[in-house]
Amino acid sequence: MKDAPAAGSVTITVDDRELQVPEGITVAAAVLGHAHAGRTYIHPVDNSPRAPYCLMGVCFECLMEINGEPDVQSCLISVEEGMIIKRQLQHEEVN
Amino acid sequence: MDVQTDLLVVGAGPAGLAAACAARSCGLEVTVVDEQAAPGGQLFRNIETPLGQSMLEPKEREQGMNLAADFRKSGVKYYPGTTVWGLEPRKVSCNINGKPVILKPSTTVIAPGAMERPVPFPGWTLPGVLGAGAGDIILRSGGTLTENPDDPVVLAGNGPLLLLLACHLIHSGVKVAAWLDTGYWSRRLMAAPLMPASLLDSPYLGKGLGMALQIVKGKIPIVSGVKNIRAVGKDRLEKVVYEVLGKQKELYTGTLMRHEGVIPRTHILNSMKVEHAWDSVQRYWYPVVSECGATSIDGIYLAGDAGYVHGGDASILKGRLSGIDAARSLGVISDSEARFRSAEPLAVLRRMRIARGFLRYVFAPNPGIFDVSDDTMVCRCECVTAGDIRRAVREGHTDVNEVKLYTRCGMGQCQGRMCGPALAEITAAEVSRSPKKVGTLKIQQPFRPVALRSYCDVNSLK
Repeated sequence: MKDAPAAGSVTITVDDRELQVPEGITVAAAVLGHAHAGRTYIHPVDNSPRAPYCLMGVCFECLMEINGEPDVQSCLISVEEGMIIKRQLQHEEVN
Repeated sequence: MDVQTDLLVVGAGPAGLAAACAARSCGLEVTVVDEQAAPGGQLFRNIETPLGQSMLEPKEREQGMNLAADFRKSGVKYYPGTTVWGLEPRKVSCNINGKPVILKPSTTVIAPGAMERPVPFPGWTLPGVLGAGAGDIILRSGGTLTENPDDPVVLAGNGPLLLLLACHLIHSGVKVAAWLDTGYWSRRLMAAPLMPASLLDSPYLGKGLGMALQIVKGKIPIVSGVKNIRAVGKDRLEKVVYEVLGKQKELYTGTLMRHEGVIPRTHILNSMKVEHAWDSVQRYWYPVVSECGATSIDGIYLAGDAGYVHGGDASILKGRLSGIDAARSLGVISDSEARFRSAEPLAVLRRMRIARGFLRYVFAPNPGIFDVSDDTMVCRCECVTAGDIRRAVREGHTDVNEVKLYTRCGMGQCQGRMCGPALAEITAAEVSRSPKKVGTLKIQQPFRPVALRSYCDVNSLK
């Protein structure tokens, strides 16, 4: 049996890793400040590793897959119980 | 949902919330849309949770909690999770939780707030390099900046947020290896004659001095006259390299937070061709608006730091003034009642502006910060370097829009928000002119990325 989340926190999954984070915070803050995921995507133009820079909706460096939806600005979305978050570490080849 | 309303407020930060409450108390039907999931904006982020409240100092916490509580009680319709991507008088296009909608308000108050001035430097795209505001948001989200909480972090730059962040770091027990100061001393000295006026706003001055004292007590090593900051690492930040008095130094760290001041977010009004003025000390463009936030376009107001950066408490006053004037312009309250309701916020705001005049100089950005090496990536979206920009300028392109067309700098998904100021500064420096003389990026609507399907759906295009 899994432990119930502590009061005021929610359980999310970041790349198959479960962790508890405070409720109300954004996905980007959880991935950087709690999961310490380092890079969160590979830039499609120069293939360099990138991570969220501004955390306030400006820079578009925080794009992640949230509950199956790709390219979401994760700094504008609050964490929710059971949320599945994936870093975008490979970009699709454009035919 | 009801798309008609008397007043639509874009943004639920200090200015937007205050505008909505003021207009509602005059009897207007008010709708607020905001990008974030909860009210508060940046200053009062997560103000309705104990975590969000814990990092604010007592007076600010009370102000934010009261504002959020008044807003919740006010009867204002509130749509969080909304991205506004098109705006003109009486027609506002947005996606509310992903669903496209066109709202038809009689008047609109735009309150998008301010952002950190983005300043490129070599290696700033490496994971581990953040804006100071971003670092602060991580702390305020109960997180840690480094996986091992004992690892030190490095601060760099010059500006008000760095002071606040340093205090929060001390408060959270984070080790700060160094504060690399890029400040502009000749401008800082010009602040001195304006200092006596700051006594008009003594609580604010006290807050600033209190923060400075904490930093002195916290024994953060401050290195002045820092130039040529570089972030170095393979897949993430490993060390920070910089120069002082011509000597190169380095610090090993996994986290660097850079801050070079705060600038208004001008994309929406730029796209509507509202006149903007250039502040040669703060080196930013700001929209020309009246004291109550009225723009040159009928029915469009601007409130808060997006008009000129005076801070969160000033934004609350600016918000109230715009909300009251919106009610007056719709004939819901009389001119004399509007004057009566506006008298107090207007008097306090005028006093604040005088009292804070010195900050314009203390936190003036050093133009030297834009003198970056040719290999520095300026446009993070399209991977355009300072060298690419300079080459375009040397080929005769001296307006930033020409340089943009030639290099793709500013054509990515952030739509020039991260590279626009640096593009102008680098272009201007190359032709030895003021950034005022090289134009500003022309902003087109939609000013946020939107799916073609959403655009067509609401505009009856198939």
